[in-house]
Amino acid sequence: MDKSIENELQIRLITKQDIYAVPDDPITVQASVDCKELNELLNQLLKASNPDFLKPKEFDFLAFGQLIRLPLTAHLQEHAGSDESTVDVEYIERTPAPEPQDTILHDDWVASVQSTDKWILTGCYDNSVNIWTHHGKPVASVKEHTEIVKGATWVDRADPSKGFISVSHDQTAIIWSWEEGTDKLCPKITLRGHERGIDSVDVSKNSHLLATGGWDTNLKIWSASLDVDDSGEPISKRSKGTNKNSSVRTPLHTLKGHKESISSINWVDSHTVCTASMDHTIKFWDCQLYGISNEIVDQKAFLSSSWSPLSNTLLATSADRFIRLYDPRSTEGTVCKSKFTSHQLWVSSVAWSKYDEHLFLSGSYDATVKMWDTRSAKAPLYNLQGHEGQILAVDWSNDKYLVSGGTDNSVHIFKNRHPK
Amino acid sequence: MGKIEKPLKRKINGREIKIQANDTEEIEESEDSDEDLLTEVQEDESSESEEESEDSDPEDSEDDCDESSEEQSEEDHQNVSEDDSDEEVESGDDDDSDESESDEEDQQINEDHRGQKITAEETASKSSTSDESKILQNDKEGSESEIATKEKTPRKGGRNSESVKSVGQEQISKATDEYDAFDTSDEEDIRNTVGNIPKNWYDEYKHLGYDWDGKQIIKPEAGDHLDEFLKKMEDPDFWRTVKDPQTGQNVILSEEDINLIKRIKAQKIPDVSFDEYAPWVEWFTSQVEKMPIRKFPEHKRSFLPSKNEAKKVSKLVHALKMGWIKTREEQARLRAKKEPQFYMLWSADDQAEEMRRIHKHIAAPKRLLPGHAESYNPPPEYLFDAKEMKEWNKLKNAPWKRKLHFVPQKFDALRKVPAYPRFIKERFLRCLDLYLCPRAIKMKLSIEPESLVPKLPSPRDLQPFPTTLSIEYKGHTDMVRTISTDKTGQYLLSGSDDCTIKIWEVNTGRCLKTIQTDSIVRCVEWCPNAALSLVLVATGNEVLLINPGVGDFVVSSRTDDVLKEAPNSDVVISERVKKAVQWCEPEQSLYDRGVRIQLKHFKMVTQVTWHGKGDYFGSLMPDGLNRSVLISQISKRKSQLPLTKSKGLVQCILFHPTKPFLFVATQRHVKIYDLLKQAQLKKLMTNSNCISTMAIHPGGDNLLVGTYDRKMLWFDLDLSTKPYQTLRLHGTSVRGVAYHKRYPLFASGSDDRSLIISHGMVYNELLQNALIVPLKRLQDHQPFNDFGILGVHFHPLQPWVFSSGADSTIKLYTN
Repeated sequence: MDKSIENELQIRLITKQDIYAVPDDPITVQASVDCKELNELLNQLLKASNPDFLKPKEFDFLAFGQLIRLPLTAHLQEHAGSDESTVDVEYIERTPAPEPQDTILHDDWVASVQSTDKWILTGCYDNSVNIWTHHGKPVASVKEHTEIVKGATWVDRADPSKGFISVSHDQTAIIWSWEEGTDKLCPKITLRGHERGIDSVDVSKNSHLLATGGWDTNLKIWSASLDVDDSGEPISKRSKGTNKNSSVRTPLHTLKGHKESISSINWVDSHTVCTASMDHTIKFWDCQLYGISNEIVDQKAFLSSSWSPLSNTLLATSADRFIRLYDPRSTEGTVCKSKFTSHQLWVSSVAWSKYDEHLFLSGSYDATVKMWDTRSAKAPLYNLQGHEGQILAVDWSNDKYLVSGGTDNSVHIFKNRHPK
Repeated sequence: MGKIEKPLKRKINGREIKIQANDTEEIEESEDSDEDLLTEVQEDESSESEEESEDSDPEDSEDDCDESSEEQSEEDHQNVSEDDSDEEVESGDDDDSDESESDEEDQQINEDHRGQKITAEETASKSSTSDESKILQNDKEGSESEIATKEKTPRKGGRNSESVKSVGQEQISKATDEYDAFDTSDEEDIRNTVGNIPKNWYDEYKHLGYDWDGKQIIKPEAGDHLDEFLKKMEDPDFWRTVKDPQTGQNVILSEEDINLIKRIKAQKIPDVSFDEYAPWVEWFTSQVEKMPIRKFPEHKRSFLPSKNEAKKVSKLVHALKMGWIKTREEQARLRAKKEPQFYMLWSADDQAEEMRRIHKHIAAPKRLLPGHAESYNPPPEYLFDAKEMKEWNKLKNAPWKRKLHFVPQKFDALRKVPAYPRFIKERFLRCLDLYLCPRAIKMKLSIEPESLVPKLPSPRDLQPFPTTLSIEYKGHTDMVRTISTDKTGQYLLSGSDDCTIKIWEVNTGRCLKTIQTDSIVRCVEWCPNAALSLVLVATGNEVLLINPGVGDFVVSSRTDDVLKEAPNSDVVISERVKKAVQWCEPEQSLYDRGVRIQLKHFKMVTQVTWHGKGDYFGSLMPDGLNRSVLISQISKRKSQLPLTKSKGLVQCILFHPTKPFLFVATQRHVKIYDLLKQAQLKKLMTNSNCISTMAIHPGGDNLLVGTYDRKMLWFDLDLSTKPYQTLRLHGTSVRGVAYHKRYPLFASGSDDRSLIISHGMVYNELLQNALIVPLKRLQDHQPFNDFGILGVHFHPLQPWVFSSGADSTIKLYTN
């Protein structure tokens, strides 16, 4: 066989995006072709087929369900694909690089961030809860908690006026009411019941329930309503330190099962909570029957997790430098589907994108935020630099903004240029 | 002829004088009668019988005969019953002798024989007589020989012969009767009384058997050759006289016998009466019958081939085919083919000698290969010049001193090389060399260094254990001497030389609290009691009980409440204790910092340690001499001095996790005290000069001791007071050791900045010793004033380890 022929491959370029469709005739390319060359090729093809296509675009290429990051032959070898048959190469429009937009400086470490369409909610180690605009303008800040605030989340991301919840190491969680756009923050209800610091909080999809978990190893389910009366708690039981406006609420349910602290909570659907714990387990709790419905056991303590309703999979990070993708419904093989390796230190936080089932964000103690595509486990799409200390929280609740907070007292906001 | 010679010899032995004449005659005679074997036999036998008759001593028998004759003479022999036949014979004999005296003329040769026999064998049987009588009947012709014997006998004992003859006569008449009466075949053969043995056995002896009393029966004297010759001449029956080898008697063959012999010799049918030419009776017809003899037809199976046979044949054929059996040709061929076989003559295969030579073979020393000098055509520089030749010749008397044992010579061609003249001698010397060369097996011990290393499991199989540096806790400004964690592993407590205590959030590395103290913090320890939020701090001369105010607020506030009021106790505190320690309420400034109780010691406190239940704690003042160890109780706010005597410079104290034991490490020993019995239980020998620190396994049976001389000693308290294992893993002095509470791990930190994680599995089985495998060396701390790692502490739940260093950082290593 001729050597030149030997080093050639037949590929067929396909896509699911109609506007970029090209004729799916097999094309012979050099076997060592990489992403860049494929891009040029595709742009030429598009130019030829589509007269309207003027500006060259960046594409990413997939073969065997994985993004091509290496020369094509190496990619084929890695995925045990044959180089004799025609390879189907799917191309997608490349996710554009996020742009750094703003940095919000805090007085202390930022333990949690969450954004809505307009606002960014942060919990801080100086016991404060802050609301910022996406351009770094402070809107409101209140130090109601007596200990570090570990988590803060909107009751309804679509409607910030419904208030938000913050959890703290002072063993309480507070449901705040907020008049949108003003600095009037009012702690409405104090959630008491935890015996140790609370690390994590999440609100159910229908915004009726919220779940908290922390170092007392208990998962507590609370009502998320802002109505003071429905708790039925007499005002006399209020704690001394709390604001006089707030009332106290007790948990609807306490779910015991973890042996060590709960580090992360995600609502899977309106009645299922998923908790990741330091005792090396991830548990799925049924909030109608109040029991464990599923369990994932691994080797290391879990630090954070994120549930994707788009792909019904769970991302979790352990006390190591990997991010693991779990499919809890998987019955064959391991529930761990893939392992994302690029971080150098513990990955403290992970967040799915809300619009693409493949994209997610991670922040690590190595001071980098990485944007990932699940189809590329070895290398992230983008490294978002800027932080000078450990990242403690990342958020991608708003499709447009990638928000991260860390121990350098700052929240970095990156603008995502690919909102649908 | 051989048969003749035998008797001749005997005669020679017996009578030497007479023989000469007779001998020649005999030989001549025998030669004459050579042609007829039968006659020879006769002659021979007869001569023998005569001898026997002469040899036998007749006198004894005579007496016997006389006696018996007296007793039984009157008896009527005709009427003698068959039962007492033996007696009859004897009596018969007697009668014979009597009668022989009366009528000697009637004697026959048979009688003569008879008489001889009887005299020789006193107890002649009835059957013999019957046999004799048969012969008698047949031999009536040989009267001449009879006379010859008669004349011979008187020479020795006339009377005897006479009596014999008379016996013979009587016998005849009697024997005929008996013969008719008892013709039993088995009685016929017994003709002598010495047993059924051949007579020639007695050829060499004078006697021919033994009588009833065990006395020898002497052979009757046989006549010499002259007698025999005479007998031959005179006895007409001599030619037909045959000696019976069984009895030694002469038997005169009857006419019938002779006829029988003659017929056999002529190859005729021995039986005269047999008619060879009798008409042929066809009992079975020779003609093939066409019609069946029997009425019924042959059975079917007689036509069928036999299955049984077929089976046997097939077996044989199969065996032939397989070569199990061989035909004669094959066997012959095989035999011809067979090679000669050799056998070991002098030793067997299984002898040990052979094996010894194989297994313990001692190789002969190797000789040098021939070089150029040995060549038949050596290069010229190898040939001896005059000087070398002179030297060679000089060493004639000491040839072993020569460099070469020969003179190199040059030849034009190999064919011109003469045979080496000293070949045999040289070969002999060479063999002698080999023989005399002292050879012995050097017993070498070949121990590979690898084989001495104990087989340990791979660290990969002993996961999980801390491997990677995950979090650094930065904030202290001076050496961090000591670290501790709370029970849940949420918080880390550290005490430093910068006179601060810091509380850290483990997971993030956040310093949550900093508590200022007045002096260098030498030891901190979190209270093991979960119901108390307390940490124990040794700083300067003080021990502080500090409420860190983290964790559960309820517990924290309750702790404050508990410690607020000192319990009143009437117990008088002894002066000795009072001087050593004073319990104080902290001042307000101290209280605000979190200090709840202050214990002022009289000397510097270097170490504090909690008892497992969190009520008691021990504090150590190395300079306190006999008051160096102090045990205090929080609930009663009371201290006591467990040791009354100074045990030397105490380095470290420790409580047993479950039992009321106190471990006190002095510089050289670790002493274990039972606090209840107030007695010393054990003294562990460390074999080391300076103990730095120690840690106890959560099980309580294993103790880890670190020393300033680089060693780590693992004591198994059940096993021995000596270290179970000594680990020399560090380059410099070991400053911190720790056990993990849950995982089989222990760690040690030393001044060489290295933190070494080891697997230390303790088994519940008493028989199995602990498994110790060093796993990982972690070296991330920076050196500071020659100090490396000062404190080592394991995370209470996770397989993580903290190390505090002189570089004022604390590092967390995770799996």
